[in-house]
Amino acid sequence: MKTRIESVEDIVSSFAGQGYICSEQVALAIYLAAQLNKPVLVEGPPGVGKTELAKAASAFLEAPLIRLQCYEGLDESRALYEWKYGKQLLYTQLLRDKLGSMLADTDSLDASMARLGDLGEAFYSDTFLEPRPLLQALRSDEPAVLLIDEIDKADQEFEAFLLELLSDFQISIPELGTVRAKHQPLVLLTSNDQRELSDALKRRCLHLYIPYPAPELESQIVSARVPELDGQLRDQLVAFIQYLREQDMKKLPAISETLDWARALVLLHADSLSQELVADTLNLVLKTEQDVTLARELLPGWLRKFGKR
Amino acid sequence: MPVRRLSEFIRALRGAGLRISPDEASQAMEAVALVGYEGRARFHDALSVTLVKAEQDRLAFETTFSRFFDGETAEQGAGARESDSVGDVASILPADLLAQMPDEIQSLLNADANALSQAMAEAAAAMNFTDMQVITQQGLYTRRLLMSMGMGAVDDQVIQLSQGSATQQAQADQLREWRGRVREQASSLVRRQFLLHGTGHGRELREQTMRAVAFRDLREFREVQALVRKMARRLASLHQRRLKRSRRGRLDGRRTLAGSLRHDGVPAQLHWQQMPPRKSRIMVICDVSSSVSEPARFLLQFLYALNDVLPQVRSFAFASRFDEVTEDFSRYSPDVAVGRVLDRLSGSGTDYGQMFETFWRRCERQLDRHTTVIILGDARNNALPEGAETLAQIRRRVRQVWWLNPESRSQWNSGDAVMDRYLPHCREAHRCRNLNDLERAVDRLLVSLRQSS
Repeated sequence: MKTRIESVEDIVSSFAGQGYICSEQVALAIYLAAQLNKPVLVEGPPGVGKTELAKAASAFLEAPLIRLQCYEGLDESRALYEWKYGKQLLYTQLLRDKLGSMLADTDSLDASMARLGDLGEAFYSDTFLEPRPLLQALRSDEPAVLLIDEIDKADQEFEAFLLELLSDFQISIPELGTVRAKHQPLVLLTSNDQRELSDALKRRCLHLYIPYPAPELESQIVSARVPELDGQLRDQLVAFIQYLREQDMKKLPAISETLDWARALVLLHADSLSQELVADTLNLVLKTEQDVTLARELLPGWLRKFGKR
Repeated sequence: MPVRRLSEFIRALRGAGLRISPDEASQAMEAVALVGYEGRARFHDALSVTLVKAEQDRLAFETTFSRFFDGETAEQGAGARESDSVGDVASILPADLLAQMPDEIQSLLNADANALSQAMAEAAAAMNFTDMQVITQQGLYTRRLLMSMGMGAVDDQVIQLSQGSATQQAQADQLREWRGRVREQASSLVRRQFLLHGTGHGRELREQTMRAVAFRDLREFREVQALVRKMARRLASLHQRRLKRSRRGRLDGRRTLAGSLRHDGVPAQLHWQQMPPRKSRIMVICDVSSSVSEPARFLLQFLYALNDVLPQVRSFAFASRFDEVTEDFSRYSPDVAVGRVLDRLSGSGTDYGQMFETFWRRCERQLDRHTTVIILGDARNNALPEGAETLAQIRRRVRQVWWLNPESRSQWNSGDAVMDRYLPHCREAHRCRNLNDLERAVDRLLVSLRQSS
């Protein structure tokens, strides 16, 4: 992992090099997180690049990315660690004879127990421990970027369980004791605002809200990701998407949809937005029938007003 | 910028309603120390990343930020602008008069506008504005500020001069005018400080009033919508629906056995039967005749703001007619929805008996043991048949019936109100006169929903 980050500009330019164009505020949040050793809670509408941010950060810091996808019912055994029951059983089966011979010369039950005790915690040791993402991040030999994706989908209990990790970078495992992070990972949490997160969690994190991008920024993003697209068409496309976002849609188009559309237009060798073209490809941008209908109705008016340059 | 300025800013933010813990405050300081004070945009972003934890606080943060830090640059700008108007009093007064005056006045009068602003800012820095609580204290603080600048001596001088000859009186007038201008500058400085620090206390006070005032007077408060949302959010996070209950309930023998086959018949992993998610449904019947329409508006607004916790709410309204209003509330904002409902159903002459009949006919099929029926009304039945039997019939079908009455308990049976006929059929009945009552009632409701499922 990079130990020194020169400045915020450094982050912006490195992200841009990877094709992740972001506002300065986003870069600043990463900078502060790395400098202050604080987790960042990233919120925003779906599709604005929250997960991408973690990937870009891991590439910038030259650190491995460890990802934990949250879902309803996620528990410690999936997130932190699990014992390999199957392997444990298999070993006891295979070692049965060996154990029998070892215990053969003991005559009382107490003696056998003591002998077994001498074997130590053989069956609860690292050999049988299956580390899950959180433990991996703590025990990783180099500092890592830990992405806890869609924390709002996990239960409240899990959120409470994370608090220890987020504030002290350590976690308690009953069989092993407290595991402290070898190197503090950079933790990013993302949330889609499905439910309100607890104050305790928010207090421990820096908070970054990524909104839909402004026209200039979106135009830059498209030109970085789909450079084949003609400049004039790009401006037109971005303007139309921005216009759609002001409408009363069920699901607003995000950056990922803008990019999909841009790629489609390149494939179709389009040179300007015409009514038929938009009508045919609109379902790439809008994902519900209701929105598509609404956009079709709005389209002629928009083309008359802004379409002609 | 010293640490003190920043901690004042954080206090101002707390006053504006943000909840900032000491830990977050120290994070903000560290962050600012890292990015420096020069780049204004970056300074702003660093504070916002560390201090604003919820999007609904964003607006309050932006306002306070611009008030706090723009105030500073504006102060200096204003000083430069007024340099020709405030500063030249020394040239008007004759030099010999000036020489007679005490030293401290001389230095004040000789000061140009910039130096004067400087003196004022120094005096202000020594004062503690954070104690300012109500708007009427501004005068007091302005006076204190002027006194600590040494303006008291100028006052004495004015009194002395005005008792003297005609020329002296004219000089006194000029001095008075100058003093007025300085006072104006001081009071504008105090006003800015009040906006920053005092509004916080004022807000708390206003919130308490809003919570306790009767619903029909609430219209006069502008921030009431925000307050209702805030209260609902608090309740929602308190009673947040548990998404899944694992490791509880009965052992799922089939899955455990099937899973154990992999481990040679040893049930290494236990599986539990999942409890099916709770399905409590709420039906609200609101009286929207003129006397009770305001409480109905707030109750419905509250319940729909609790969407996280109460996913299934159906609402009905009645005045002269009875109709379902769920659609209106799910599609429009509460204000608009209430307007639409009133347009459609308003009228006088509520008939509770008739209403229960219609409700029973319409919703009989949906009433089951997961349903809670809430009735909001004053039970004033215009001496019509009260229809308590129908309510009893409804109660037997549903889990519970609640009654919220906007009048105080002593009024429940006065005049044409027949609350005592309905009470035996209600599990709970509460007074619901103001936001505090409403919050308490909804809180109890949520608890009762959680307990028995």
